[in-house]
Amino acid sequence: MLRRVALIVACVTSASPGCAQDRIQVVTTTTDLRSLTEAVGGERVAATNFVPANLDAEEYQPKPQDVLHLRSARMLVRVGLDYDLWIDRLLAQAGMPQISRGGPGYVDASFAIAVLELRGMSVGPGDGHAHGSGNPHYWLDPKNAEIITGTILEALARIDPANTASYEANRSAFLDRLRAKLTDWEAALAPLKAMPIVAYHNSWPYFARRFRLDLVGIVETKPGVPPSPARLLGIVQTMRASGVRIVVREPREPERDIAFVASKAGASIVTLAASVGALPGTGDYLSLFDANVEALKSAAGAR
Amino acid sequence: MNEALALLWPSFLVAVCLVGIHVYFGIQVLARKVIFVDLALAQIAALGATVAFMLGHAAHSPATYGYSVAFTLLAAVLLAFTRRWAARVPQEALIGVIYVVAAAAAILLIDRAPQGAEHLKQILTGNILTSGLDEVAVIVPLYIAVGGLHWLLRRRLDGAGTLAWEFVFYATFGAVVTSSVAIAGVLLVFSFLIVPAAIGVMFASTLARQLAIGWMVGIITSAAGLAASFAFDLPTGATMVCAFGGALALAGLLYGLVRGDRRGALRAAIATARWCAVAALAGSAVQLAASPRADQPLIDTVEYAFPSLRALYLTRAEATTFEDAGAYAERYRLEAEQLNDLEKRGRTEGEAMDDFSVARISSFLKSYGEMRKGEQFVMNEVRARARERIRWGAGLLLLAFALLLAPVPWARLWVRAPR
Repeated sequence: MLRRVALIVACVTSASPGCAQDRIQVVTTTTDLRSLTEAVGGERVAATNFVPANLDAEEYQPKPQDVLHLRSARMLVRVGLDYDLWIDRLLAQAGMPQISRGGPGYVDASFAIAVLELRGMSVGPGDGHAHGSGNPHYWLDPKNAEIITGTILEALARIDPANTASYEANRSAFLDRLRAKLTDWEAALAPLKAMPIVAYHNSWPYFARRFRLDLVGIVETKPGVPPSPARLLGIVQTMRASGVRIVVREPREPERDIAFVASKAGASIVTLAASVGALPGTGDYLSLFDANVEALKSAAGAR
Repeated sequence: MNEALALLWPSFLVAVCLVGIHVYFGIQVLARKVIFVDLALAQIAALGATVAFMLGHAAHSPATYGYSVAFTLLAAVLLAFTRRWAARVPQEALIGVIYVVAAAAAILLIDRAPQGAEHLKQILTGNILTSGLDEVAVIVPLYIAVGGLHWLLRRRLDGAGTLAWEFVFYATFGAVVTSSVAIAGVLLVFSFLIVPAAIGVMFASTLARQLAIGWMVGIITSAAGLAASFAFDLPTGATMVCAFGGALALAGLLYGLVRGDRRGALRAAIATARWCAVAALAGSAVQLAASPRADQPLIDTVEYAFPSLRALYLTRAEATTFEDAGAYAERYRLEAEQLNDLEKRGRTEGEAMDDFSVARISSFLKSYGEMRKGEQFVMNEVRARARERIRWGAGLLLLAFALLLAPVPWARLWVRAPR
């Protein structure tokens, strides 16, 4: 008797939409895509990310558990543009055609994005990205979130057509909030328009374009290769010449090199999060921009 | 030039300090035959720092340094014991195991302490370029203290003492390595430690002379490495390591010329060079004949230096196609660069570029990339076909060159040996 009651209770709870078993399991490569997937999926989706917020997604080393996560997933969202190449090997190992390239649950979030800094294969000493597919940090333009959430919505509607209306409602509610915020952010960053900025890693072209920031130099020539003395000297001279007052650093980047450049040129360092969760107070996609805008604004105001 | 000096002299000062203590320890390490002990100690220190990160301490806090030191002292105990265990297994094997286990354990922990990843990378590569007077102020008192202690205990620390003295040696060495690796990275510290000391040991037999030679070599090589890094626009640490490698090779050559049988050394050097050339030529010959479509490192390099050499094996039509494709590829690259510039300027100058224009630029860039790849494919294909045509003839020619160059007494082989 007791067992039968338990069974009924289990059935009822599993039928309700909020229950874990019933939610659509989605895996994303980065925290940013997880946040955007949650914004569209809402209660019906349980999203997890592979790469922890503070690690470099380009150098991620998959773990055995990741294959299990992939096997239990119905949808995969990736950054694409050579940013998370390791997922291809993982997919091949997991053997999941429905979430592999061409499958209904496969989402390359870079689809339909206007990619910046495309340079064919590699064009000598450039701006720190060796990629042939353009700069992959496109989620740092909040307007691109419209395209990304659209791609996610399409995939969710494909694998769960019954709830399409609810996904659409979630997305437009999110986009309304985003548009309102975007106006605030643009207003807050308007005073920085004439203020040249230097960054350590070239993560910020999309962000700079949207908010019209003047990114005059990148310290790193290739990801992970320490800059040569001539390069450092060149950057310091550029900074002095154009009066750079702000050097942008991400939390995982070497503190000392950046402090060196900043002190030589008399600039101050601003730590910005390039991914959701990389800094405290950047728990979701909207608060990521809130925090970055606030940090930039106060650094510019302190001058 | 003055700017360059202003940038480089603090690094040079740091290098001089590092050379000062590491040449001494290098001579000790060579005598004890524990060459890789510095790698093990540095890695253990990094492991300690990673544990500190995991427990939530900041990167440069005293707590983090405390963990590093504690781990290093533990490792010193282990290392002091390794000599006793080394009866059947060489001590270097145990040191190697300590190194790899510490490195692997740190990787395991990094999962829980993402900030540690940067620290581990820093340990490997360091950055002597961005270090300066702040670092000098920390390491000079430490090195003077360690040096003074070793001078006072010089009778006890000769490597034949008891376990306790071995521990003192490894503990002080660990303190030095922990500080220096954080500045210069494992690779460069290893070079500071071994190369000048090895050259000193090569040319002198008393400690004082070995030290003097080692210091001189270390300081001159550091200066040369720093200068080369600036002049050729190369990462500083790696350039300095290569400079030390060159210094050791030069010293080896010099030793042969100065100390040994001068003519024999010269002859051996020439024979080595000739055999290397023979191996390269014969290898290229085999590679060309076996798979003419694959990379041909030697031929590619020669062609890169003297592009006119291609005329030797391309027909006139092929040469025209090759040049045209090259010109088009370059043109597409320039056009793409112009578009990239346009977009970049549009971020700040004038009216903001609308999303549609940016999307258009982006798709143009994609097309240019594809077109450029197409032209490059044409170039490779033309060259590959021409090489397929000449594979046997040119392969044999290269092989003949190789045989001619080989230091074999051909003349004597032709004359029949007397009975």
